[in-house]
Amino acid sequence: MTVPPLSATTEPYQATTADPTPVSPRQRTDPRLVVSLILRKLGGAAFVVWAAASLTFLMQALLPGDRATMLLNQQTGQVQERSAEELAPINEMFGFTDPLLVQYLSFLGGLLRGDLGVSYQLLQPVTTVIGDQIAPTVILTFSSLVVAWVIALVLLVLTARRVGWVSRLFSGLEAAAAALPQYWLGIILLVVFALGLGLFPVVGGEGPLGLVLPALTLGLPLAGFLGQTMRAEFERTLDEPFVLTARARGMSDTGVRIRHVLRHALLPGLTLTGWAIGSLFSGAVIAENVFSRPGLGGVLVDAVNGRDLPVVCGVVMLVALIYVIANLVVDTAYVLVDPRLKLTH
Amino acid sequence: MTTPPHLNAPKKRQRFRTPLSAAAILSATVLTACSGTSGLVSAEQVADRQPADGPQSGGIIEYGHLQEPKCVYGGWIQENFTARQILDSLVSQDADGKIVPWLATDWEVSEDQLVWTLTLRDDVSFTDGTPVDAEAVAYNFDHWLDGGNGTAAAHLGGFYEDSSAVDEHTVEVHLSAPFSPFLSTLSQSYFGIQSPTALETRSEEENCRAPIGSGPFTVQAWESGQYLEFVRNEDYNSAPANAKHQGPAYVEGIRWSFIPDNTSRYGSLLSEESDVIGEVPAVNIAQARERFDFEQYITPGRPVVINLNTEKGAFADQQVRQALSFATDREANIESAFLGTVPFEPSGYLSQSTPDYDVDAATEYPFDLDRADELLDEAGWTERAEDGTRLKAGERLEVVFTYGLNTIVTPDGNTAIQNFQEQARDAGFDIQLRPLTPSENSSGAFSGPDAYDAQVGYWTSPHAGILNINYRPGTEDQPNGANTTFLVDEGVFATIQEALQAPTSEDVTKHFSQAQHELSELAPAIGLYTQTNTIAVSDELSDVWLEESQGSPVFHDAYFRAEESVTEEEG
Repeated sequence: MTVPPLSATTEPYQATTADPTPVSPRQRTDPRLVVSLILRKLGGAAFVVWAAASLTFLMQALLPGDRATMLLNQQTGQVQERSAEELAPINEMFGFTDPLLVQYLSFLGGLLRGDLGVSYQLLQPVTTVIGDQIAPTVILTFSSLVVAWVIALVLLVLTARRVGWVSRLFSGLEAAAAALPQYWLGIILLVVFALGLGLFPVVGGEGPLGLVLPALTLGLPLAGFLGQTMRAEFERTLDEPFVLTARARGMSDTGVRIRHVLRHALLPGLTLTGWAIGSLFSGAVIAENVFSRPGLGGVLVDAVNGRDLPVVCGVVMLVALIYVIANLVVDTAYVLVDPRLKLTH
Repeated sequence: MTTPPHLNAPKKRQRFRTPLSAAAILSATVLTACSGTSGLVSAEQVADRQPADGPQSGGIIEYGHLQEPKCVYGGWIQENFTARQILDSLVSQDADGKIVPWLATDWEVSEDQLVWTLTLRDDVSFTDGTPVDAEAVAYNFDHWLDGGNGTAAAHLGGFYEDSSAVDEHTVEVHLSAPFSPFLSTLSQSYFGIQSPTALETRSEEENCRAPIGSGPFTVQAWESGQYLEFVRNEDYNSAPANAKHQGPAYVEGIRWSFIPDNTSRYGSLLSEESDVIGEVPAVNIAQARERFDFEQYITPGRPVVINLNTEKGAFADQQVRQALSFATDREANIESAFLGTVPFEPSGYLSQSTPDYDVDAATEYPFDLDRADELLDEAGWTERAEDGTRLKAGERLEVVFTYGLNTIVTPDGNTAIQNFQEQARDAGFDIQLRPLTPSENSSGAFSGPDAYDAQVGYWTSPHAGILNINYRPGTEDQPNGANTTFLVDEGVFATIQEALQAPTSEDVTKHFSQAQHELSELAPAIGLYTQTNTIAVSDELSDVWLEESQGSPVFHDAYFRAEESVTEEEG
């Protein structure tokens, strides 16, 4: 391992010549490399969040129709045109008539100060609106993710490359699960397990019992996706020579599957997870609706319907941030699973 | 009881959670029923003020509601429902539509009908301690018209001048023109009286999320996306004259849950998680009628109608409007789209539950395809294109219908509109449907005379004065966005004004009838179905009712039946 890091040019060479410590079999990571990586990642994250916020702001502001008219109509349940006289106080309150650039700059200024603004419709600060609803959504998202991973892993280890019909049956079930529409699945789970059997409450609320069906609603289709993605890699790996070697060492079949083969199969699953977290976050609204759960999904839908710009931007930025963080975590997890990816070049 | 109970405390009332416990309680009841004592009712359940055999006090009503309001009090119908729980209005309407006392015990109007004098009760306070007096009422009138409530302003705008306190408990309201449905207007919860102290000293957010009134409940908590908690106002002494009892509510509170999904909402009633639900899904109405106390309120005001653009396009021609009114079998259409659960409304102007509704005017356009064809021929739409669409000077009879899907028009209503589109083909109309998203719909971009040939909408109102809102011709100085047909007809407008200014209720009815006939002749709108509000109540709960002006559920009189009377009925 002698290839110098790309970002550091000659200095490391001089350093190594000056201090001829023996090169360890596992090369240490250069701290400057880590710092520069972190800076790049942070810069990228900030860019993504800024871009998401700006795009959302522009789209919301430039859609046809008038925001003050919309607010007035929604406050009275009407859909009519409004006179300038009626609109003036609202325009003044929210500054809708200022030039777009002024509105955008004041929006950005607020962001820099950590002020996301006040909801047009609810009259509450956006941070309060989001803060009140974020916990149930995060809980639901991660419960669904856990449900999906557990189901996918158990089925994978137990059923991949078994007697022909077992593998085929479960592979088919995974494909079917992946294709399930969440809304339909939620209603079916509700009707069977909550209404029919009475095992779970119909109206979810915040208790752990109320979390089961919503988590399954989002988790089952995802388990199908994860299982399908990992199964191909899992079965390919089972043919690798090192598996044969492990077996020859007398390792049990389960041991081989979990310790050696699964490691390889995890990578595509991890890639999918980065995407899945964001998708679960935005798909949460379906489970929220069917099971009457609180959460950000409902907040976002209401805000988009009402073009409540500060709330829409707030939620979009949050989701963007979560995507970024999820992908950072996935990148890190790659390294843990596959040491070859360690930061050496 | 001096401290309000916390709603998170477990219910004192026993619930049948599982079939097993239900059976156990049932058999226990059979045993105790012989002794004739209320063996299962714990002492806590019977409040000291209630006689043992009267309505039981206590319990929390679990109410499942479709939509979450933006504020507890506001101009939207959803906000009217929540405001009814915490605010008192000046007057109320009883089941016959008669105005009865509430915060105002007496009222009179001057000879010229321009000054209304209201006498207020002298023993009512808001829950923040501010007295409900003439000053407070006058303050509320100004507040509504000053942007405090857009719906209130739509009703009184153009009539209201000012109001003043004559003495502590007498308020005078001055109008600029006579307005006969004044009291009926005030009976809606858009006109609920709030504490001026709260309005002046608290933030907008506080006044939005927990307004202060003198009503039977107060807002305890609002978990956005989940529920609103109302807790009993222990000092309540100002129920309207048509309430079933005076004094504080029997129940300790209401948990007003938002359950948007139809299956879940109805399911929550079946699983006994809810005691009452609103907006019973159409597919469940037949069963709900059998199993629960089911009530349907037919909302007065403008029903769900097709408003035709009388200013531009094909419908500027009165004959074409009349032709479309004749062209389809609307009654059969509504029957099939709503499975017979929602009444057909022939009138394009008022719903059948509105006082002064004229049934003759409403039914002037039965299904008559021959008549429709005749009218279109006379109007010059004589040719037909290959697909059957009529032509006039080479131009197709193609019209655009806009409507807010899932906001103004329910999925069932959407079916009705599609049926209408299909049926109107026979007469040679090519109707293009343009459903609007909620944000498109209210943005104003689809509201002007250039935006549509026809638009579907409704407007709730407890009286026929809605015609004045919908048909006042807009002018340069005073545009009228509520005139969604853009009809400019001074004749009809004058008739409506006569009705508003008529001295006696017979005269009011006469002039409103005439206005409906005149409108029917001009045919600016086509009736489809009535807006309705439904509730289904579990048989454990008694005396929930829908108030007359807007159909809000009223929980002040509701009480949980003693367990044995429920089980006896079941047995």
